Amino acid sequence: MIRIKGLSFRYSGGVKNALSDISLDIGKGDFLGIIGASGAGKSTLTYAINGVVPHYIRGDFYGEVVVSGLDTVKAGPETLARHVGSVLQDIDGQMVSSVVEDELLFGLENFGVPHGEIESRIEESLAAAGISELRSRDIGTLSGGQKQKVAIAAIMALRPEIIVLDEPTGELDPQSSRRVFETLRSLNEENGVTIVVVEQKIMLLCEFAGRLAVMSGGKLISEGRVKDVLMDADKLEGAGVNIPRVATLARLLRKKGLYSGDTPADLRQAEAMMREVLSDAAV
Amino acid sequence: MLRFENVFFYRESANTISEVSFDLREGEFAALIGENGAGKSTLCRLCNGLLKPASGRVTVCGHDTATVSTSRIARDTGFLFQNPDMQLCQNTVYGEIMFGLEYALSDPEERKRRTGEILELFSLDGGRDPFSMSRGERQHVALASILACKPRLLILDEPTTGLDYRECVTIMGIISRLHSDGTTILMVSHDMEVVADFAVRALVLSKGRLIADGPVRQIMKDKKVLDEASLLPPQIPALAMLIGGDFSDVLTADEMAETAERAVRQKGARK
Ligand SMILES: Nc1ncnc2c1ncn2[C@@H]1O[C@H](COP(=O)(O)OP(=O)(O)OP(=O)(O)O)[C@@H](O)[C@H]1O
Ligand SMILES: Nc1ncnc2c1ncn2[C@@H]1O[C@H](COP(=O)(O)OP(=O)(O)OP(=O)(O)O)[C@@H](O)[C@H]1O
Ligand SMILES: [Mg+2]
Ligand SMILES: [Mg+2]
Repeated sequence: MIRIKGLSFRYSGGVKNALSDISLDIGKGDFLGIIGASGAGKSTLTYAINGVVPHYIRGDFYGEVVVSGLDTVKAGPETLARHVGSVLQDIDGQMVSSVVEDELLFGLENFGVPHGEIESRIEESLAAAGISELRSRDIGTLSGGQKQKVAIAAIMALRPEIIVLDEPTGELDPQSSRRVFETLRSLNEENGVTIVVVEQKIMLLCEFAGRLAVMSGGKLISEGRVKDVLMDADKLEGAGVNIPRVATLARLLRKKGLYSGDTPADLRQAEAMMREVLSDAAV
Repeated sequence: MLRFENVFFYRESANTISEVSFDLREGEFAALIGENGAGKSTLCRLCNGLLKPASGRVTVCGHDTATVSTSRIARDTGFLFQNPDMQLCQNTVYGEIMFGLEYALSDPEERKRRTGEILELFSLDGGRDPFSMSRGERQHVALASILACKPRLLILDEPTTGLDYRECVTIMGIISRLHSDGTTILMVSHDMEVVADFAVRALVLSKGRLIADGPVRQIMKDKKVLDEASLLPPQIPALAMLIGGDFSDVLTADEMAETAERAVRQKGARK
C-alpha cells in the first residue's frame, strides 16, 4: 500500500537531512505507530506519504515513495489526497472553514462523496469524535482539544484508503484520546483502512497499533511488531522514547528477582504479571 | 498567591466558568485537569487578567485582576499558552528570549547575560529561526522565554504537549526545580502521569465547575470524579486498583515493586 525506498530529504536551507535513507513497507490494512524524539523526522515522514513533501515544501528529495501505486513525486497532491487523508500536527494550518459543519462539508464535497451520503457521514463522524453538539460552532472559538477533534472528524468522514495522523491526541483529554484510537481501530478492522499514526503516548500505541516504527535523528532505528520493539527498552530510551509504566514495573520486579516473564504491554497483561508475582509468593 | 472567590465567566456558548473558588498558597504545585472544553484555558486567562470575571474576584499576588493592569500582573506571573505559536514572534531564538525579558530587566547588558544563561540551560541555539523548528523545539523556546523572567507564579497551559519524553522529563525537571525554589505553579495537563509524578494538589474542572480539589494521590483513585471529567488514572494507580488490598494506595512503579516485594517476603516468612 505504501512503499518507501531509500528516502532522504533535506529542507531547503536545512543544515542536515531531516530524513536519511528510510525504507519502509506498509501493507494494506496495517496499523502502524510511529514514535521518536522531537525533531526525529516523524512529521517529515508523514509529509512524504501525503505528498506535502516535495510538492508544497521544497528541499532535496532522494529515493522513492509509492502510495496506492502512485509515485508521490509524479502524482500531484490532489490525486494523492483521494487516497490519503491526513491530520496534520499543526491543525490550525489545516482548517479552511470558519464553522465546524462547513469544515466537514468542504472535504466531503471536494472528495466527491455523493450528496445523498453527506449528511449521514457528517453526523457519524461528529458523533465518533464526541463533538455532535459543536456542529454549528465557530472554529475560532473552540478549545484546543475541541479543534483537534474537528480535524480528526473531518478526515474520518472521508473514509480514505489510508489515514495518516500526526500526533492527533496531543491536546485531547485521556478518555477522548482512547476514543480516537478506538475509532481508528474500528476503521482499520471493519473497513480495512490503513492507519499510520505518529503518537507520543506509547501506552496507546502499545494497545492499539499492530506495528511500531521508532525514529531517531532522521533514521528509522527499529520497526516491527509492538511486542518485539518493546523488548529493546535500552534502544528506545536511547531514542528518547519512554516505555509504558507497566514495562518499567516489569523491569523493577525483574531486578528484585520477583519476575522473569514477558514484558507486559498493557494493563491487562500487567495485571497477569502481578498476579503471577503474588501467587509465587503463596507457594 | 492566587485566589478565586466565587468566580463566574460567561460566553455565548453554553460552557462557562461557574462558582469557582480556590486558594493557591505560595509554593504550592497544583494541576488543573478536566475534559476538553471544561474551561481550563479560560480559567488560566482569568488568572492573568486577560479575561475578567463577570462576577466574583480573582486575586494574583495580592492584586485584584479587575482593577490592576495586565502588565503589572505579568511582572510576577509567567504564562505559557497552550499553543507555543501564540507566543513566538521573533525570527531568532536569541531575539525571542531577549524580547520576553524586556519587561523584567531594564538593563540591556543584564538582559544579554540572562539570555545567554537561559540558552545554555535549555541547550538552545540562539541563531535558529523558531519557525523552522519542530513543534517540540518551538515549545521549548516558548517555555525558556518565560522562565527567563523568573516569575513568582507560573501558569502553564499544557507545558508538555508536543514534547517528546526526554524533553518532557527535562522541562518538568526545570519546573520542579523552580517549584523547590519557591515558585508557585498552576499547570494544566492531560497527561495524568506527569500530574501524578509532579503535582501535589489537583483541581478538577468539569463543565466549568470545580468538581474536586484535593491531593493528587487521592484524586487519581476517585473513579467517579475522573469519569465525570473524562479522565483516566495513570497505568500504575489503575493497576493498583485492579490488584487491591495493600496495593490500593500505590501511585508509582517504585512503590508498587516495593509493595510486591514486601508481600512476597511476608508470605515466605509465614511459610
Ligand atoms: N521548514 C523547515 N525548514 C528547515 N528545517 C526543518 C523544517 N521543518 C522541520 N525541520 C527540521 O527537520 C527535522 C525533522 O523535523 P520534523 O518536524 O519532521 O520532526 P518531528 O519528529 O515531527 O518532531 P516533533 O515531535 O517535534 O513534531 C528537525 O531537525 C527540524 O528542525
Ligand atoms: N472565544 C470563545 N467564544 C466562545 N466560546 C469559547 C471561546 N473560547 C472558548 N470557548 C468555549 O468555552 C469552553 C471552555 O474552553 P477552554 O478553552 O477554556 O477549554 P479547555 O478546558 O482549555 O479545553 P482543552 O482541554 O480542549 O484545551 C469550551 O466549550 C469552548 O468551546
Ligand atoms: Mg512532528
Ligand atoms: Mg485548553
